[in-house]
Amino acid sequence: MNIIVLVKPVPDPKAPVRLKPDGTIDREKVPLTMNLYDKHAVEAALRIKERYGGKVIAISMAPPHAIEILREALAMGVDDAILLSDKRLVGSDTLATSYALSQAILKIGNFDLILCGMESTDGNTGHVGPEVAEFLGIPHTTYVERIEIKNEYVVVKRLVEGGYELLKVKIPALLTITNTANEPRIPTIRDVIKARRKAITVWSVNDIKADPNKIGLFGSPTRILKIEKVVLKRKSKIFSGSDVDKIIESFLAELKKDGISLLR
Amino acid sequence: MPLDFRFTEEQDHLRRTVKEFAEKFITPKVFEMEQKEKIPDEIIREMARLGLFGVSIPEEYGGLYLDPITAGVIVEELAKADLSCSTPVLYLVHTAWSYIAQKYGKKEFKEEVLPLAAEGKLWIGIATTEPGAGSDLRSIITTARKEGNEYVVNGEKAFISGVREALKQFEMGGGHLTLVKTDPEKGHRGMTMIFIPIRSQGITIKYEKGWGRKGISWASYKLDNVRVPEKYVIGDEGRGFYIAMEGFDYARALIATVCCAVAKRALEITMDYIKQRKVFGVSIAKFEGVQFPLAEHWARIEAAQLLAYKALWALQMEREGKISRFEVSKTAAEAKMIAVLTAIRAIDDAMRWFGAFGYTEECPLTLAIKAVKSYEWAEGATDIMKIIIAREILGREFLPYR
Amino acid sequence: MSGKIFVFIETREGSIVNSSLEVLGKARALANKAGFSVEALLLGYNIKHLAKELIYRGADVVHLVDDKRLEKYRVLPYTKAITEITQSEKPDILILVATTTGRDLGPRIAARLGTGITADCTDLDIGDYIDPNTGEKFRNVLYQIRPAFGGEVMATIVTPRHRPQMATVRPGLFSIPPKDETRSGDIKEWTIEFTNFETQNIEILESKREPRKADLKSAKIIVSGGRGAGPKGFKLIEELAKLLGGEIGASRAAVEAGWISYDHQVGLTGQTVKPDIYIACGISGAIQHIVGMKDSRIIIAINKDPNAPIFKIADYGLVGDLFIILPKLIEKLKSQKRRL
Repeated sequence: MNIIVLVKPVPDPKAPVRLKPDGTIDREKVPLTMNLYDKHAVEAALRIKERYGGKVIAISMAPPHAIEILREALAMGVDDAILLSDKRLVGSDTLATSYALSQAILKIGNFDLILCGMESTDGNTGHVGPEVAEFLGIPHTTYVERIEIKNEYVVVKRLVEGGYELLKVKIPALLTITNTANEPRIPTIRDVIKARRKAITVWSVNDIKADPNKIGLFGSPTRILKIEKVVLKRKSKIFSGSDVDKIIESFLAELKKDGISLLR
Repeated sequence: MPLDFRFTEEQDHLRRTVKEFAEKFITPKVFEMEQKEKIPDEIIREMARLGLFGVSIPEEYGGLYLDPITAGVIVEELAKADLSCSTPVLYLVHTAWSYIAQKYGKKEFKEEVLPLAAEGKLWIGIATTEPGAGSDLRSIITTARKEGNEYVVNGEKAFISGVREALKQFEMGGGHLTLVKTDPEKGHRGMTMIFIPIRSQGITIKYEKGWGRKGISWASYKLDNVRVPEKYVIGDEGRGFYIAMEGFDYARALIATVCCAVAKRALEITMDYIKQRKVFGVSIAKFEGVQFPLAEHWARIEAAQLLAYKALWALQMEREGKISRFEVSKTAAEAKMIAVLTAIRAIDDAMRWFGAFGYTEECPLTLAIKAVKSYEWAEGATDIMKIIIAREILGREFLPYR
Repeated sequence: MSGKIFVFIETREGSIVNSSLEVLGKARALANKAGFSVEALLLGYNIKHLAKELIYRGADVVHLVDDKRLEKYRVLPYTKAITEITQSEKPDILILVATTTGRDLGPRIAARLGTGITADCTDLDIGDYIDPNTGEKFRNVLYQIRPAFGGEVMATIVTPRHRPQMATVRPGLFSIPPKDETRSGDIKEWTIEFTNFETQNIEILESKREPRKADLKSAKIIVSGGRGAGPKGFKLIEELAKLLGGEIGASRAAVEAGWISYDHQVGLTGQTVKPDIYIACGISGAIQHIVGMKDSRIIIAINKDPNAPIFKIADYGLVGDLFIILPKLIEKLKSQKRRL
């Protein structure tokens, strides 16, 4: 099975949050990490490879300093990693990103499956997977928790509200993976050291023969009109201490003072 | 322009990997480890899988043979995740003493033991202390007598770490590099280092109950005509004392790193608390009476951390033949002494700011201070560190006694 | 500009999914504001009878594709049908509900049509946009509003030049429009040519959905449990909920741990709720949960960890062990009740 995994760098959700003087979050120094759901996709790909043989290639469209996440993928065990990086890709929305990635995938050539996380923890759109599948003209499905490989198709368990579906999907296909699918492996020290010595291929827009009108800001149909800080006007009245009875008493008294009654 | 205070990308990547592992597998179990006085088997297995026990073993025996600074990066992350220090100690003792085992061990010993040690199936510790001799190692009474192709060991070792782990939790067991007298007349030139498997016949174990880092076992044991093959002698007869001192330097440098990491983490936990805890309507963190000592502790720990890394760097320089044994011993002693002192004071204040919560047994700060305090005497008492430093900077002719 | 707003209507087991009606209602409101029309896309098998209801609920036109091959949702035939109708009718706007279906289908349609799509909008509006680079003014474009950067800001996104402007809308935010049987409209039936590509690439082997047992959307009080609760905690939560006449909610962690069923899940992958009072017990306050309950009128949090993010969005916070606080709180409230 030849599998391509799409991975995205996102701001580390576990990193401590620093505020700028104006009260907004400082995004400059936030360390990047691999999108959590993509990690599950990498794990899913590796398990398929371990069971059925084949090759796993990780690819990411990202700025140069995000190359570390491809090292993480190599440390987990993918065979090769490709970084698609170019100034002209900056400002791409999901459509432009999906176009660029599909061009890169065409350059990679043969594949049986493309896996990616069901969404990213920063954008949460979940759009890139289906859009890449559309550009490549292959079937796709989303929220996949389990994959069984058959000869010319896969049987997947897809999560839906209140239940699941079992789908038979012809390969080549694209699947987006949930975080309930598996527990991503932690690489060993040896894996990490080996991964660092591996070369990562870097492609530019020219390498993937992308149409300049379809990438970057120009190739992005969506625009941000405005961004407004969400002002949360919550009371934030905290009751703490070692005397639980006192905590509850003060809390109920405060509720009474504010004219709020829990009992109706 | 060398003197770069940054780590390599590889070290950063390893740091992240160990951090992810430790936060996932070790941190949730820290309080349980201390309460149940045991490191769970799963944790030891995962540490082995990651390769943490192969850090000092050469590649030809299946190890990683990492440089001391990288070994220090690894132990830092273990310490940050485990403020009780049980797992960092399991790692650092094995790392320091398997280094000695691979440097001075005989070929047949290395072929037999090192591949198992690298896989985390066999654990290597250190046994020098006796009921009557801790700092004054020359006064040990455990002897080893050569009989044919064996040594017969008689005596007693006390307050040794890792006994139960080697006995029961590592698949192929383990043992300790043990300091014995092979020629009692010759004082410290008559001492030899021998690897004694803990499962050997003739060893009677009594477990001690420590105040802190209870997860890792602590025991004393009698050796009654314990027979050990001569291939287990580490280095030459008569060189034991010096080999032990060399191993202590690596252990001390790693211990210094651990104490700094623990102290920093303790301060971070406390800072989170004092930022949101209010007294008289003001966050505790806003009072200068708290900020000033906090700033001092932080800066001192940063300094201690750099000294710890310098000691690890010195060990690597020694491996490359660029620096003398004495320089390494001095730096390692400086690092350990300063780290322990600084860490205890920082954690002490941190506990105070934490108030009642800081006094609960579940609070990681109580675990931290107990662990760090053990290093006032373990692997080299603070006053011994002072003797080493004074000796190196003043010169041997000023030693008050031999 | 055609002035048409298309709404994709999801059906299941022969009836219309409620959240599609919510979005139909919102589309109607937008249409009224801008003088647009609302047109529903109804795909399925033996679903002709549903078209009338869509008109009663606000649609001016229903585009109907009744075909056995569309009986159950599959992305490829649905994409083909919708893109064909869209390319012919040229709507300005096409919206779907951000269900697993909508999030699977929407982007595929957008890529085929080469247009922009915004995911998971929490609001929609109609307004103008001026391109900052060219100064071009675009009138009556769709404002696609959603939280960004972890919920810290609200972003308004537009698709000025490409059509249709697409968006998926989060379920549970808008109300279902009332049924007005005096309304009239057109029903246009379409026949779509499906090739092997659409029909043979994906096959549904099995499909299992359980109807929701807990009605959190209409609850006035919700007492919710998270990772800190455990099965014992949920017993206390149940007791408190009963006492207050409320419903039980849960974080994803609690559902995944098996302490309570998925119908009680509140959050990004669960339900979005807006009760009067939301009491979060042993819930840390991860953003995925908060987005599901942050519009509650009053938020009360109980958590052992003084640093838990939930305290930042709570009106009242009790720092302590829920196993100690809840029984005492229940006791106190019971005695208050007796006195009432």
